[in-house]
Amino acid sequence: MLKDSPVDPRGPRFSAWMTTVILAIVLLTGWWRLLAAQTVLFAMCAFISLKLNPWGHVYRYAIQPRLTPTTEREEAAPLRFAQGVGFVFALIGTLGYATGLTTLGMVATGLALVAALLNAALGLCLGCEMYLVLRRYVPALARPQ
Amino acid sequence: MTGVWALLGALAVAGAIGVLLKVREGRISSSKASAVPDLPAPVRDLLVAPGVTLVQLSTTFCAPCRHAKVVLRDLADRTDGLTHAELDVTNLPDVAASLGVMRTPTTLALTADGTEVLRVGGVPKRDTLLAALRPHLP
Repeated sequence: MLKDSPVDPRGPRFSAWMTTVILAIVLLTGWWRLLAAQTVLFAMCAFISLKLNPWGHVYRYAIQPRLTPTTEREEAAPLRFAQGVGFVFALIGTLGYATGLTTLGMVATGLALVAALLNAALGLCLGCEMYLVLRRYVPALARPQ
Repeated sequence: MTGVWALLGALAVAGAIGVLLKVREGRISSSKASAVPDLPAPVRDLLVAPGVTLVQLSTTFCAPCRHAKVVLRDLADRTDGLTHAELDVTNLPDVAASLGVMRTPTTLALTADGTEVLRVGGVPKRDTLLAALRPHLP
């Protein structure tokens, strides 16, 4: 696993808006292949590196130059954790749609959309703030000391 | 058609959670201030006498913890008898659980003998917090 350096916090917010749009399209169309692609994207960002996120590159080349520079930086660890939370929901959603359990697919995709929208609109990462609770029920989240 | 309802439902849920969290952010809950509880050792070690110690519980995955730290450190620097200490509980979930802390940042205001004066969930609001702490400061 690579270690990412801190990032301009507006990049992940832009990325979260794009994720929100993608998940909304999935809900409206039931196009599970798009959700599968989003699941792979979540996995790459969470488990390999945030640099693999294409929206990050779009932000850097197309949007950041038009904004006033900021010295504010956000640590990468919360962002990657958020991608991991997204990955779990998107994976369940993809399996649901692909196996005909459409209701499961919709519920999981809907929950992922809620998380992405809160992140985009308010900069809020539910999974990160509730890490202590999640860890109590998912021991695998424990980090090596 | 169901997809449209699912989308509307998700938007409504996100809106509700967003409003709820905005309202609760930085809210101060005053403690029962009863007998001194069994304070976990990592927390007790941080307490400074005399005065009040703000013990901020954080995790590696918590972005707002940084903002809370800035607010609290500044407040402690400018206030006599007030100290700020941050405790990373990423690998100490038992400490957080024994204190009844579910989210980070959560800040506990403790006197030197370990009595909890109040606690704040989320990023504290400077002036409101200072006003609530006043009666407990030397």
